[in-house]
Amino acid sequence: MYGVIPNWVNLKDPKERDEVEAFLQGFDLSLDQDVDYTIVIRDGVSQEASIIATCSKARNVLKCFAIIEEHRGEGITSILISALIDKLFSQGIFHSFIFSKPASAHVFLALNFKLIHSNEEVALLENGVYDIYKALEDMKENYNLGGGEKTALVMNCNPFTLGHAYLIEEAAKNNEEVLVFVVEEDRSLFPFETRYELVSKGVSHLKNVKVLPSGEYIISSATFPSYFLREKGARLKAYVELDSSIFAQYFCKILNITQRYVGHEPYCQVTRAYNEALKKVLPIYGVKLHVIARKRFKDVSISASRVRDLIKQGELDDLKNLLPDVTLEFLNTPLGREIVEKLKSSCSSH
Amino acid sequence: MFLIIVEKSNEVIYIKITKIAKAGTLESNDILIMVMPNDSGNIELELESIVMQQFGDVIEQVILHKVKEMGIEGITIKAQDKGALDYTIGARVETAIKRAI
Repeated sequence: MYGVIPNWVNLKDPKERDEVEAFLQGFDLSLDQDVDYTIVIRDGVSQEASIIATCSKARNVLKCFAIIEEHRGEGITSILISALIDKLFSQGIFHSFIFSKPASAHVFLALNFKLIHSNEEVALLENGVYDIYKALEDMKENYNLGGGEKTALVMNCNPFTLGHAYLIEEAAKNNEEVLVFVVEEDRSLFPFETRYELVSKGVSHLKNVKVLPSGEYIISSATFPSYFLREKGARLKAYVELDSSIFAQYFCKILNITQRYVGHEPYCQVTRAYNEALKKVLPIYGVKLHVIARKRFKDVSISASRVRDLIKQGELDDLKNLLPDVTLEFLNTPLGREIVEKLKSSCSSH
Repeated sequence: MFLIIVEKSNEVIYIKITKIAKAGTLESNDILIMVMPNDSGNIELELESIVMQQFGDVIEQVILHKVKEMGIEGITIKAQDKGALDYTIGARVETAIKRAI
């Protein structure tokens, strides 16, 4: 289709937003809350003309993509994607992901997106100046990772508790080389830099442990949006499968990770579903999963969510039994106190 | 997809790019060029094309010719071709590089 120009949608204008919402509803899609940029193509130049196609993005994830049946096969997809890639470059983002239904993945493969993983419900593709192989090779080089067999843990550490420390110590005791991936996505109460620093300091006495940022391919809004959106049902199942598979297929293979440790999850449904998925997926790739019983204090499992609850209720005295010194010290810094105040006045689960 | 690495030569004075930049689109008869600096000093080209079998070599020549003509070194180029003609390819490469200097 010649001369088609994508129009930017002002998402803050309820009328414009509703129009896109209504259009997407016709495809069983909805405009996700985290979308920050949306474009549409109209059937003609006037603002009144009806929408024939739309696409959005949330940071570097392209989503909410739809074209009406009559206009498929006219190259509209490439116009939309090119426009979004232009926008990303202008924002200094040189790499992007697309979530699509597996049946539509071929559309994006034809536009040079590369398939990372697909299951029955969802396919994840990427495009840009690097890919998952390059990202992992860079990680190997930057953190000086050798070829030996490794054991891995993935933790959000929001904040770092004695439970996390115990889990890492267990792994370090029984294995030669341990990698701790701290979730890099900054959607938790404690910012990534703080979480990373507390873990690094907290395990500095363990010489065979390396702490790494998890990057974009473990529990990020690309691989596992449910972790941050707290979704349930089929989508949750698809996302945990996706994240587990990417970890097994790429991380374990390229970094020679042969074992993964997780804590038993008594509270959180999403984390429990994630553990279940790991249990199923990892053995397929020859990776062993160890589920470790949580460290307890006075018969109650130590968890970061419990720590946040205590802070929220203002029961700060109990914290010294649940948190290592590094975290306790941090809570007394200006930034720490600010986070405590923020938590007291919030109701988010993160 | 294939990868070409042209080793750095010592005789001429070369210009380096400093940023990541792009030019072009993924539409039919166009080519999307992404350029980024690399530390090796070489010219690295990663080319994908829908007409790789017929014109892969020619596209490669056109891109490399343009890069050398502009005197650029230490550049990684990702090219995703949708059947662009030679002068389109040349123009897209030149624009991407000028945006990256």
